[in-house]
Amino acid sequence: MASPAAREWLGIQSLPGATQTKLHELLSKLKQENVSTVTILVMGKGGVGKSSTVNSILGERVASVSAFQSEGLRPMMFSRTRAGFTLNIVDTPGLVEGGYVNEQALDIIKRFLLNKTIDVLLYVDRLDSYRVDNLDRLVIKSITDSFGKEIWKRGLLVLTHAQVSPPDGLDYADFYARRSEALLKFIRLGARIKKQEFQDSAVPVVLAENSGRCKTNDSGEKVLPDGTAWIPNLVKEITDVILNGSSPITVDQKLIDGPNPNDQGKFFIPLILAFQYFFVAKWIKRAIKNDIKNESKPLWELRDMGLANREF
Amino acid sequence: MVCPPISWFNSTSWSGFKKYKISEILFFDRRKWTTVSGTEDSFFEMVSLRPGGVYTKAQLLKELETLASCGMFEKVDLEAKTKPDGTLSLTVSFTESTWQSADSFRCINVGLMPQTKQMEMDPDMTDREKLEYFRSQEKDYKRRIERSRPCLLPFPVQREVLQMLREQGKLSARLLQRIRDRVQKWYHDEGYACAQVVNFGNLNTREVVCEVVEGDITKLDVQFQDKLGNICEGNTQLGVIRRELPKQLRQGHVFNIEAGKQALRNINSLALFSNIEVNPRPDEKNEGGIIVEIKLKELDQKSADVSTEWSIVPGRQGRPTLASLQPGGTVTFEHRNIKGLNRSILGSFTSSNLLNPQDDLTFKLEYVHPYLDGVYNPRNRTFRASCFNSRKLSPVFTGGSALEEVPPIWVDRVGFKANVTESFTRQSKFTYGLVLEEITTRDETSSICTHGTRALPSGGLSMDGPPTTLSGTGVDRMAFAQGNITRDNTKFVNGAIVGERNVFQLDQGLGIGSKFPFFNRHQLTITRFFQLKEVEEVLHGHYGGCVGDLPSYDAFTLGGPYSVRGYNMGELGACRNILEVAAELRIPVKNTHVYAFVEHGHDLGSSKGCQR
Repeated sequence: MASPAAREWLGIQSLPGATQTKLHELLSKLKQENVSTVTILVMGKGGVGKSSTVNSILGERVASVSAFQSEGLRPMMFSRTRAGFTLNIVDTPGLVEGGYVNEQALDIIKRFLLNKTIDVLLYVDRLDSYRVDNLDRLVIKSITDSFGKEIWKRGLLVLTHAQVSPPDGLDYADFYARRSEALLKFIRLGARIKKQEFQDSAVPVVLAENSGRCKTNDSGEKVLPDGTAWIPNLVKEITDVILNGSSPITVDQKLIDGPNPNDQGKFFIPLILAFQYFFVAKWIKRAIKNDIKNESKPLWELRDMGLANREF
Repeated sequence: MVCPPISWFNSTSWSGFKKYKISEILFFDRRKWTTVSGTEDSFFEMVSLRPGGVYTKAQLLKELETLASCGMFEKVDLEAKTKPDGTLSLTVSFTESTWQSADSFRCINVGLMPQTKQMEMDPDMTDREKLEYFRSQEKDYKRRIERSRPCLLPFPVQREVLQMLREQGKLSARLLQRIRDRVQKWYHDEGYACAQVVNFGNLNTREVVCEVVEGDITKLDVQFQDKLGNICEGNTQLGVIRRELPKQLRQGHVFNIEAGKQALRNINSLALFSNIEVNPRPDEKNEGGIIVEIKLKELDQKSADVSTEWSIVPGRQGRPTLASLQPGGTVTFEHRNIKGLNRSILGSFTSSNLLNPQDDLTFKLEYVHPYLDGVYNPRNRTFRASCFNSRKLSPVFTGGSALEEVPPIWVDRVGFKANVTESFTRQSKFTYGLVLEEITTRDETSSICTHGTRALPSGGLSMDGPPTTLSGTGVDRMAFAQGNITRDNTKFVNGAIVGERNVFQLDQGLGIGSKFPFFNRHQLTITRFFQLKEVEEVLHGHYGGCVGDLPSYDAFTLGGPYSVRGYNMGELGACRNILEVAAELRIPVKNTHVYAFVEHGHDLGSSKGCQR
């Protein structure tokens, strides 16, 4: 759980010039709006490219990336300053372990983020996966349960491995549209956002390609198949989200603890009590009375009261 | 009735006071012209003489008079023959009384009515006087029938008797005996042990009237006896005993032995007496009446008991030694039947060192006050107040099947509770009351433990796990209302339990206590027992839920012998809402039973709802 002090953003200098210019533009835009610190939280399943994306943005290899091993359980925050602007990126462990959502990892992430404010959430997934299933929904649900629905107003969907050859029969644009549509649908379902609300404040989708094979344009910037330089594009989208009018999420103890289950439903207790008395207790009492009525009395008792009419 | 002439066949000379030994009694039926040995004839029971008995002439004469006046014989004689060994052989030669054949039968209840007076017929009466005599007799008898009460004898038995009358033709004394036996048999089979046929009337008409005394109870007497059987003053109030008696054992009802048995069972369940007897006795003052006597021996009111345990363990060289010189054990005392109203105070103290009890003292002091609404009120409500403490291992703070050794948490409760229980039947009841408790969570070293342990990702255990108590300080104080309603109509039928058992339990927090706990904790259990052919089936469902403040030690746990068998208590989880269903089959196979069961527990997604 290392969070070293902010260092000078030297890595930015390793990015191509055109990218640097654009980034500086965007950072000054933010400063104009009085935003001098931005905290970005990167979350997603394991092996989707979170650490690689972080490395790409910062321009230096800060987060360890290993293709075949699952990462450690520790979230790491990387802080870099540039011209009075501080950028904090929190890289987190994958949220899926053994086919289930890793509650323990989520717990650790929450504890790590105590008293920090999240400005942007980057939800990372791969463009070149074809299926979206219930597990994805559960991951989204866990994120939503932990940080609240509001986090999606500050959320971006980052699709890595953008330089993928789509499967036969589909062109790239189609493939991208369908994949992002499917993921967005599950985000909406997992976060339980109403359709209308979701359409009004849609989660932007951004493509990324972190590998060294990524094509570059004339300026040397890494570009997507459609020609856009993706790093400035990503930072632009991040900036747009920050300035979209919603409020950042402050992670306080209350948020970490979640809604107190002890308080849920307290309001209904008198109603519940009334229900229990009038329905459950009275039902059982009525059943007891029926039992007493239906109890077969012995003949000597019946004869005595004249009920048996002198039958055998 | 006319007295038949008495005649003696004197074959021996009779001496007035000499005693004679009767070696055999024979019956000679003049109508059938047969002789039968004593015991084979149904009239044998009318004769009080017995073969082998020694009697004087006066006694034999008296016997003859009794036989003559019993109404069974038209004519009866006693013949005595001396046998070679000096004993007498007695022959009762008789002519059975017969009457006009009858085709209708009626049974009347003459209990508690005075016997008809036998008016002696004056032999000097004129014919007219005789006629008047007979007419007045008839009128008297008719009035007697009118005044009598209807009897319990049911129509099917009466029809049977009618059938007997019609088959026989002439009405003979033996037939009357048989009718009497049949009627009495019905009464005795049904439990009316004191019923008797006292007389037959209207014998020379077409209708036979059977007069029955059913054994009406005229008085109920309750007696207390001391250990030696002497009558003494009892401590128990009469109202307490009278409550337990069925209505049928009171004055005015017919005595039935089943009612007596029921009274015995009910009084026995009070647990106040060491010996109970319910006996009917004929009432001397009212002929035909029965006095029911209840004799009771009371148990000691006060008792105290100390039971100690000295633990003996293998010591050096394998010799058994006392593990410690401190006596551990239990002291109990009871003061029962206070004021004769079955109120009691019970107390018990348990400790591993009775001489110096410290942390592990468990005590219970209880006051039970039955008949809350009064002894004569049919409502059966009991008030109980008790002070208690207990110490249990919490099944909530256990590891799941993955974690092995988790430090245990002990939950100590000290408190006071008062409740009222209303019993509707022997098994169904409704309880409501108030509980005040102080709950402390301790670890193995008996020091207060405020948080459970939490597994760290590094594999170690940290002590900042979920809080053990609501207040977070390890000690909770709270007051809440508790209610429970149980409906149980299970019965043993053919050796198997059949019926249904529903229990609803509610703990309602009142907002009094540490952190003002306001909650509604409820459980509903439904169990049904069936029997299909030979196989017994049990279906069981248990739902529990808690809304509001739930301290961890009160959470529901899944797993355990009463929950899901095959797992330890709490092994499967702790949760806020719980649903358990189970089904069990018991199949008798040869001499034993085979059991098969299925159990499923579900936390309804509420495990996260417990503070973790």
